[in-house]
Amino acid sequence: MADLPKADELFKSINYTPPSTGWMDTPVDTSPGNWCYPAKAEKLEYLGMPNPREWNPADVDWKLPENWQEIVKEGFRERLDKYRSLKVFMDICVRCGACADKCHFFIGSGDPKNMPVLRAELMRSIYRGEFTLAGKILSTLTGSRVMTEDVLKEWFIYFYQCTECRRCSLYCPYGIDTAEVTMMARELLHLCGVNINWILEPVSNCNRTGNHLGIQPHAFKDIVDFMVDDIEEITGKRLNVPMNEKGHEVIFITPSGDVFADPGIYTFMGYLMLFDHIGLDYTLSTYASEGGNFGLFTSADMMKKLNAKMYAEADRLGAKWILGGECGHMWRVINQYMDTMNGPANNLEVPVNPITGTVFENARQTKMVHITEFTADLMKHNKLKLDPSRNDHIRATFHDSCNPARAMGLMDEPRYVIKNVVKNFFEMPEQTIREQTFCCAGGSGLNTDEIMEIRMRGGLPRGNALKAVQEQHDVNMLSCICAIDRATLPPLANYWAPGVDVCGVHELVGNALILDGEKERETDLRFNPLPGKEG
Amino acid sequence: MSLVQKLSERKEDLTQKWYDLVLSSYPKETQEVWKSNKDQFTNPVGVTIKKVTSELFDLILEWKSADDLAKSLDELIKIRTVQDFAPSKALSFVFLFKKLMRDEFMDELKNEGKLDELLAFEARIDNLGLIAFDIYTKNRDLIAQMRIDEIKRSHHMLLRRVNKIEDVSAKGAGQV
Repeated sequence: MADLPKADELFKSINYTPPSTGWMDTPVDTSPGNWCYPAKAEKLEYLGMPNPREWNPADVDWKLPENWQEIVKEGFRERLDKYRSLKVFMDICVRCGACADKCHFFIGSGDPKNMPVLRAELMRSIYRGEFTLAGKILSTLTGSRVMTEDVLKEWFIYFYQCTECRRCSLYCPYGIDTAEVTMMARELLHLCGVNINWILEPVSNCNRTGNHLGIQPHAFKDIVDFMVDDIEEITGKRLNVPMNEKGHEVIFITPSGDVFADPGIYTFMGYLMLFDHIGLDYTLSTYASEGGNFGLFTSADMMKKLNAKMYAEADRLGAKWILGGECGHMWRVINQYMDTMNGPANNLEVPVNPITGTVFENARQTKMVHITEFTADLMKHNKLKLDPSRNDHIRATFHDSCNPARAMGLMDEPRYVIKNVVKNFFEMPEQTIREQTFCCAGGSGLNTDEIMEIRMRGGLPRGNALKAVQEQHDVNMLSCICAIDRATLPPLANYWAPGVDVCGVHELVGNALILDGEKERETDLRFNPLPGKEG
Repeated sequence: MSLVQKLSERKEDLTQKWYDLVLSSYPKETQEVWKSNKDQFTNPVGVTIKKVTSELFDLILEWKSADDLAKSLDELIKIRTVQDFAPSKALSFVFLFKKLMRDEFMDELKNEGKLDELLAFEARIDNLGLIAFDIYTKNRDLIAQMRIDEIKRSHHMLLRRVNKIEDVSAKGAGQV
């Protein structure tokens, strides 16, 4: 929320009109609520990142290094040389405007600087001003400018109002990957120590213990045991969950949000029940205890470093291939960067489903299979005993998480799985799903509560589509395959479509699975009575 | 002809003007985009402003159901609560209708000696403003509550574990 206005401003507000200045001359608002809390100095120190200090974005002085302009310019030059894509993205945009109204933050806020073309222009204007001859000579004509402190502040505000969801890229006739523009801007900001805690604390924790919350192995095991206890209470069956064990065929890696956070835990219970049901030879790891990779939102080097544990742990434990849980950005890293960064995974084998014999050709290179591909394959071969009526109290829709949808094309498998376990399934309007899906507005490390209003306005397009199926079909459950979604969609649903809950796909699977030797179930995985057992 | 009759005859023109006034609280580039796209799923704000100004116009003239007024107001207030507006600006759209009424009818009614009709009608808009204030505050409270709930959810299992440890130590303490 903006600051309270003064009395004279209030008096004028009836004739309120927005600034009539062009975007370049409209100053950026750095009052609280417009930014995520800055990274703690101790986290930057631990990670060896530049300029650790106490600072406040609402202050005029951001305590930048003295030669910060030089640092940014040099960093920009370095990246233009290193990544041909960045140079192309800087040069090629003709400002056609196809992306302008595609960003959920623009749609919800109406702030022109949230139009992807303008957001990228914040950086391009500097590129032209500093690195092109025409820009240096004809600054106004070419829309170029030089790097000032105000520009840097603007970058911080707006490149942290981009969730790297790439909906805009889908409509770009040149295929400009706007997420990569944001990534580069964030890398340049890091060089001056301008960054946010919600990303760097998880990065630092992940680097130390393997997961975002910094949970150590014994606590991790305790928490998994809680879920084993709950499953026993619900099904009467005590499951064995191998942890850090060598010599199993598969290592299973999922975002830690599934282990620690509600409602991800019910999805995690679903995974464990599935593995028990098919007798999968697998292990979990307390080191590779995080599928998520906030390095993706930090820098290419950090992403590579945090990702390395997947192959390293698979090697150490002697697994043949990796099965990955329901996560969003984790799959962008795996599908688009992992093999280049940390591959080839020569010690692993091409994944084969041990139950059906299906060879996952699509994972030939990465050796890592998405759990909904795996489960869909089991269902296709009738290998699961299911009672979908246990989900009869659920009227579900499915939110395509940005990265699985747009970065790996995973759209049909989750739907196939859902339709096998839930009778009542309804799609949201077509312009809001599949490749065109609207972001939860908390991706790319923005799922922090201090910017709840920004998240809610960015979440409006998703919330609005959800409300439509709630009104039309009494939908009461928004299913998804992303841990950040499971964290960010509950408030989004609560605000825009109150009464709709959020779940992972494998929670629905867990409800429907008939385990060998289980007792008659009275409740679903959330301990809510099953349909017909309400009394 | 009473003021209410005059208003209902000019519904299309007046709701369009109100819509334009509300839209003018957003930047120019944005107004263009929001005016041109009629799809409620890819342009929820523009379409909601259009819908709500039209709906409210009828409801204010009818002046029968506070529930219906609140429901319609809520659709737009929900959006403006989370946009980058001070509370006064968020709710200014209600008073922009008052401005519109004065711009369109004050001189005419003054000349006819019927200004009291306008003042009486403005009481409805003032009431609308009060209902809007309640709704806005409710939404702000909800956001504050959502922030608390989110932190609880994200640490659900850790809290469970911490509570368990506390239980054990409490038991031990009792035995000593």
